[in-house]
Amino acid sequence: MTKRPEEIINTLPPLRRRQVLAGMAGAAAIGLLPRGAFAQDGNVLRIRANSNPSSLDPATGGAGSDHVFLYNFYDTLVDWEPETLAPKPGLAASWDFTDPTTLVLKLQEGVTFHDGSPFNAEAVKFNLDRNRTAQLSNIKKDLANVSEVQATDELTVTLTLSAPDTALPLILSDRAGMMVSPQALNNDPEANVDRAPVGTGPWTFTGWTDNEKVSGERFADHWREGIPGVDGIVLNVIPEAATGLRAIQSGQVDLAYQLDERQQQLVDKMPNLTLVAGPTLYIYQVYLNSARGPLQDVRVRRAMSLAIDRDAYVQVTQAGVGEPAYMNLPKAHWAWSEEAAAVTTFDVDAAKKLMEEAGFADGIELDMRGYPDQGSVQRQEFLLAQWAKIGVKGRFTNAPISEASGRFFGDEKVGDLLMSAWTGRPDPSLTYALMYGQTSYYNPGRVAPPEGYDAALQKSRESNDQAERAAALSTVQKLAMEAALCIPLSIRYEVDATTDRVQNFKANLLGKPKFRDVTLG
Amino acid sequence: MLNPLQKRMLRRRIVQAVPVLLLATFSVFMLLKLLPGDVAITLAGENATTERIEEIRRINGLDRPLLVQYGQWALNAVQGDLSESLLSGEEVTTTLARVFPNTLFIVCYAILLSIVIGVPLGLLAAARSGGLADRLVMVGSSVGVALPNFWIAMILVVALALNRQIFPATGFVSPWQDLSGAIWYATLPAVALAASGVAEVSRQLRSSLVEVLGSQHFRTLHAKGLPFRSILWRHGLKNVSVNLLTVISLLVNRTLAATVVVEVVFAVPGMGNTIVNATLQRDFPVVQGAVLVMVLTVITVNLITDMLYSVLDPRISQR
Repeated sequence: MTKRPEEIINTLPPLRRRQVLAGMAGAAAIGLLPRGAFAQDGNVLRIRANSNPSSLDPATGGAGSDHVFLYNFYDTLVDWEPETLAPKPGLAASWDFTDPTTLVLKLQEGVTFHDGSPFNAEAVKFNLDRNRTAQLSNIKKDLANVSEVQATDELTVTLTLSAPDTALPLILSDRAGMMVSPQALNNDPEANVDRAPVGTGPWTFTGWTDNEKVSGERFADHWREGIPGVDGIVLNVIPEAATGLRAIQSGQVDLAYQLDERQQQLVDKMPNLTLVAGPTLYIYQVYLNSARGPLQDVRVRRAMSLAIDRDAYVQVTQAGVGEPAYMNLPKAHWAWSEEAAAVTTFDVDAAKKLMEEAGFADGIELDMRGYPDQGSVQRQEFLLAQWAKIGVKGRFTNAPISEASGRFFGDEKVGDLLMSAWTGRPDPSLTYALMYGQTSYYNPGRVAPPEGYDAALQKSRESNDQAERAAALSTVQKLAMEAALCIPLSIRYEVDATTDRVQNFKANLLGKPKFRDVTLG
Repeated sequence: MLNPLQKRMLRRRIVQAVPVLLLATFSVFMLLKLLPGDVAITLAGENATTERIEEIRRINGLDRPLLVQYGQWALNAVQGDLSESLLSGEEVTTTLARVFPNTLFIVCYAILLSIVIGVPLGLLAAARSGGLADRLVMVGSSVGVALPNFWIAMILVVALALNRQIFPATGFVSPWQDLSGAIWYATLPAVALAASGVAEVSRQLRSSLVEVLGSQHFRTLHAKGLPFRSILWRHGLKNVSVNLLTVISLLVNRTLAATVVVEVVFAVPGMGNTIVNATLQRDFPVVQGAVLVMVLTVITVNLITDMLYSVLDPRISQR
């Protein structure tokens, strides 16, 4: 049917008028919508967190990403300087090695837990014993050198060690030093506070909605003067990095930590955001199972390390934000060693020669494991391209972090290598013991480290002098790199963004931010 | 209210829903078990021994045969017990009661937008069939159908949340707590979801309307002197209402599925996000519960559609 023009004219005006009116009403309605969430809701610090915590009990959790949550509710016995990780007083006002195997802690006075129970030597003893012996504890290894804990008096704790261990103060700045209220656990070391943390920290726990948010409010009786800087804290769980950045750009959060390195350029360009960046102990690396197939040959492991152009790796996978890693610590760290870092270079010809010497001139095929996220896959592709040049071939089988690492490091021992990372430990001797020790979980082949390794590591734990310790650790690291027990790739840089309101926020070398000093302008 | 024929249809539909539910939850359960990965390893933590993992499997009944595991779940589900999350220990019904309203809210909002914008556009295009407005609407709807909704979501965020902070870019407020806040937070996700809906509604409405307007009985209406306006509104719309209803009901189901991606983009704590997280962690009770609710929703929407068919076109229930 063909319509005559006048029909159309008859039809349309009322409709159009109605539409226009409706459109105007709609536009007006949008303008009238409440702007509640942009108005700052009180003195609450809103943070974008990148993963749901595995647990809020320091003894039972398993993920390195938990600390950012835990620090808000628990204080540690020992604290550290953010830039250097040098130990400083925490819940322990001071400590002293009265002899190489005795560590005496003097506790802060007048500290209480969130539930009102007093923090004292008995509470410390309860926690340390729970952490080192309870069935449910995931951190028994951290305190392996502690053989007895005594509450000498109300505010004095004496730790008796089975071997000298000067790494202990910094170990007490990590999970092992986070103090849980014994009352909240009914004095039962096998009970847990997985879902309802009770500590002495700056905020008391108010709620955890899975995969959504964890929140806390000011603990009025906190022992540090003027801490916390804000009344409330909310950690919004937004795993997707791009969504996380959008959340801070549009003002739903005030602070976003551990953004993707590739987002640094974006943050730089945004006038209302401040970039907080710096090196961390987080290091991308390939774990090798040196007990399997061709990887038993140190020449093959060395060749695989030499074949990687780490400068290009940083450019490609981190947009140039980071530093190539030739050992397991960043350059800024006090125990970084030039000698150890010089063991590994980028030299494809030498790598090829090593493969020939090992009898694998025709190449090898490896069972590779990794994680399925986009960044991991990009890193895997880069590695495959580099290794192809020396005839190392293979395919990555990807699975979520907990599962892939559980099967690779655990008793199942699947795969020749795992493209993963090391999240860092406060004391470097801990990193070396955990990564390369013969019985350590993170040594998938449970192969013995090279001769002299354990002795040098022990030596580093006997001295209280930083230079002496660094020298011993340099030997440790050099031995590990010569044996190519794992392949360090690059140092991750902390990339945090804050809005203009956020003040006193500092990144730290551990790469796990603390928020207690932060204030909102 | 319902005539006997409608009642019979209702009964038949409810009986038919049972095998659909079983099939859907069973296939999702098997797919989840086919994926490599094991929630026991996640639960056991980083330093777990094989014995510990075995123990956790035993405690959670993960060592039993798959059919027994599914059967147990189905048996409990029939009694209203969707068991609890393996990871957080929260009752699955509690989780779903928290997240499902959020998703439903966004979907309803998106459907409302699709209708409110799509229907007038379709009418305009049909009334000016072949004219400029028609072409504009058709080009626009082609674009709307072709663009993926997550891309539209990103563009909307850049334009309306970042460049001009009119709407929030992420997050959500529960409609129970704060209705206007919920509308404000849900606007961008709903608009992103509605883009293809508007296109679909206007396109389908236009084509069926043009066909109806060209039919012989409309020529008769025209011949007896009825103004075009009445023909279009009174007779035209009534004749295409069944088509329109079909489009909208399909749209509801598709929009429900599309929330999975859009919720991740906007960090909305809804069904989509819950399913994605639970699947990644192999938390099968949560996935099963969420799928059950989704399937129930789809079945309900289809049922309501069928009932409305017989209201709009009485011939349908007499067949």
